[in-house]
Amino acid sequence: MNILAAVGVDNPPLDWHALAPELVLVGLLAVLLLVDAFGGERSRWAMPSLTGIGLLAALIPVATLAYDGVVRSMFDGAYVVDNYALLFKALFLIAGYVVVLLSTNYIAEGDYWEGEYYQLLVASLLGMTVMASARDLISVFLALELLSIPAYMLAAWRKRDLGSEEAGMKYYLMGVFASAILLYGMSLLYGMTGSTLLVDIAGAIEGTEVPALVALAVVLVVVGFAFKVSAVPFHTWAPDTYQGAPTPVTAFLAVGSKAAGFVALMTVVLIAFPTQPRIFEPLIWALAAVTMIVGNLIALRQTNLVRMLAYSGVAQAGYILAPLAVAGVSGASAAMAVEAVSTYLVIYAAMNLGAFAVVIAVARKTGSAEIDSYGGLFSYSPVLAVCMSVFLFSLAGIPPLAGWYGKLTIFLALIEPGTLAGYILAVIVGLASVIALFYYARVAKVMFVDPAPDGDTTPIRVPMSLAAALTITVAVTLVVGVLPQVLARVTGAETFLSIGG
Amino acid sequence: MLLNQFLLLAAVLFCIGVYGVLTRRNGVMVLMSIELILNAVNINLIAFGTYLSDATGQAFALFIIAVAAAEVGVGLAIVLMLFRNRRSIDIDAVDQLKG
Amino acid sequence: METTAVEYVVFALCAVIVLAGAFGVIWFRNPVQAALSLVATLFGVAVLFLNMNAQFLAAVQVIVYTGAIVVLILFVIMLLGVDVEEDLEEEPLVGQRVIALVIAAGVAGLVVAGVTLGGADLVSGARSVTGSIVDDVSNIEQIGRLLFTEYVFALEITAVLLTIAVIAAVVMSRRPSEVEPLPAENASMEPPEPMEPEAEEVFD
Repeated sequence: MNILAAVGVDNPPLDWHALAPELVLVGLLAVLLLVDAFGGERSRWAMPSLTGIGLLAALIPVATLAYDGVVRSMFDGAYVVDNYALLFKALFLIAGYVVVLLSTNYIAEGDYWEGEYYQLLVASLLGMTVMASARDLISVFLALELLSIPAYMLAAWRKRDLGSEEAGMKYYLMGVFASAILLYGMSLLYGMTGSTLLVDIAGAIEGTEVPALVALAVVLVVVGFAFKVSAVPFHTWAPDTYQGAPTPVTAFLAVGSKAAGFVALMTVVLIAFPTQPRIFEPLIWALAAVTMIVGNLIALRQTNLVRMLAYSGVAQAGYILAPLAVAGVSGASAAMAVEAVSTYLVIYAAMNLGAFAVVIAVARKTGSAEIDSYGGLFSYSPVLAVCMSVFLFSLAGIPPLAGWYGKLTIFLALIEPGTLAGYILAVIVGLASVIALFYYARVAKVMFVDPAPDGDTTPIRVPMSLAAALTITVAVTLVVGVLPQVLARVTGAETFLSIGG
Repeated sequence: MLLNQFLLLAAVLFCIGVYGVLTRRNGVMVLMSIELILNAVNINLIAFGTYLSDATGQAFALFIIAVAAAEVGVGLAIVLMLFRNRRSIDIDAVDQLKG
Repeated sequence: METTAVEYVVFALCAVIVLAGAFGVIWFRNPVQAALSLVATLFGVAVLFLNMNAQFLAAVQVIVYTGAIVVLILFVIMLLGVDVEEDLEEEPLVGQRVIALVIAAGVAGLVVAGVTLGGADLVSGARSVTGSIVDDVSNIEQIGRLLFTEYVFALEITAVLLTIAVIAAVVMSRRPSEVEPLPAENASMEPPEPMEPEAEEVFD
């Protein structure tokens, strides 16, 4: 007996297979809630393992959907499961799994509400997987809120810690302000086009003569997302939030939230505005250029490694934005831009998560993230020091580590359209990378050359879960760096025909 | 049906909200300014929806109100927690992290 | 749709109330006064919704916004102490107020220009088919149909969002000492809490 049918409403067609990854995550959330509610203190130890297993279980339907290879579209095209969506769902789930590995000991040993921590993490990941498939303004907005609201809380999750609460407060206020601006842009966009579907919006604003309000709407939407991906000048929250939040949460924000912001920006810009490059290209161009330069210059003078990674993350956001600045020239340039952004996001996730894993491991001994406290790391924990150098030089883009391939795809995407704007941006990417090499190399020098600051050279004991996280991230960084065709097979332009091409 | 008048009213409301967010330093006050922006958004959505004879605008506005409620709940929880430890909700006094 | 004189009058009255309330929110130093001006704005917006034939939204606006959100804000202000006034004399950043004014005025100018230049055929989009408003079906039924067909997935996402927000907000706003269910066993692990006696005075 169907209630909807009884009142004369047609059931919307639901494709349960396409929704399976999200359903597994909702089920996981329910299980975590129940275990926490009824298991109490005794069940705390099971939380991270349960979460990890659940996240891996959600990957199974992603794999079967990818094997199936059919583009599934629901709700008139508001929710689409294609290769583009599946790639990012897999990225978010694996990144989430690594974050759980990073959190296991950190959260259990610190002063946190442990059960709810994992529930918030899963809810935020659910928002990200929805974001990968969202193709209308309402689902994009709701996915953005579902991934952000738990993240605001996670940033403030350390009990009785002013730094953490301050981090949460700043992140919250900036995030809410950004979504309000984004919404104002979306409301104008809906009104001017009569639809919330991205495809229909693109159809309604074709042509060179568009009303001024559409231009304003595009600008407000891009600015709203620029806050989320911490592009300069909307980055001011990022360093404070990253430094104050618990380190695994910082890793999650720096990788997961940022990647989801980019996915949203890329989806909206390339599906809804492809006919209006005159409006979004100069804006994104300027944002990318300023972000790369300012992020790297401020990162140069940081003394705290987490803060340095935060500014380096800002700079990396600039690199990822750059291909979008030339995406509107032609269908080919849009496809190249999508490939460059998705390739870079995957590589960035691996190397950044790895760097934070080392930070967490070292902080177990030194209790500090100051760069000076890394002195002599090579002498007492050579493996950690080598891992950290791998991640830092990968972030700098040195071959044969994965970072270079990410940079290469960005250069190719920038040069492809053959416009002056693209060439100039490519030069800026090159210059910014050279600046970045200085501060990454400085950390390496401290680790390998400087003596331990307090003379304490007992080796760092790395727990199992952290070791597993380091293994995964180092493996991805090395394999993609040496055999980039492995990644190119899944992020290659031909898999993205449903978007931008 | 008045459309332009509603849009202009919403634009003014939006700008008052933005001004409030940028100048207020009390966390709760910033939150109230953000509510002004969200109301401007809802006026826009419903005015366009009525003009287009499309209920989607109203559905969108409904989602925004629901999310705004969740946002305010979360925000006030953070404010409360911060105040307990800090005895102040002035966001400029919150300056442990500098760099 | 013809515009009646009543619509004009209602719009003008509400616009005055909405804007006066909004100015109050950014003008008053006392948070309670600001929150009460916000109530005026929200009520004005609710009447505007009625003016636009969005009866359900008008009810939701009053019940959720005024009834829940502003009451929550007022509750927290009262809990923290009404005397928490901000000191507006001292500018946090040099020229921040000026920059804010320029940004706000700039956006307003753009919208006003866009609306007035756009003229009569401002909205270019085609009339929607799926959610089109039919006059003989009630407002609430139309929204309900949309929510449970087109936007049913979005609705479920909102449900998860509200659940997780409630859980997290409750956990966070509890007193840390109350979070531990086994105080006797955990007493040695807990760091001493110097603010506890003071906190009792304020929150009890």
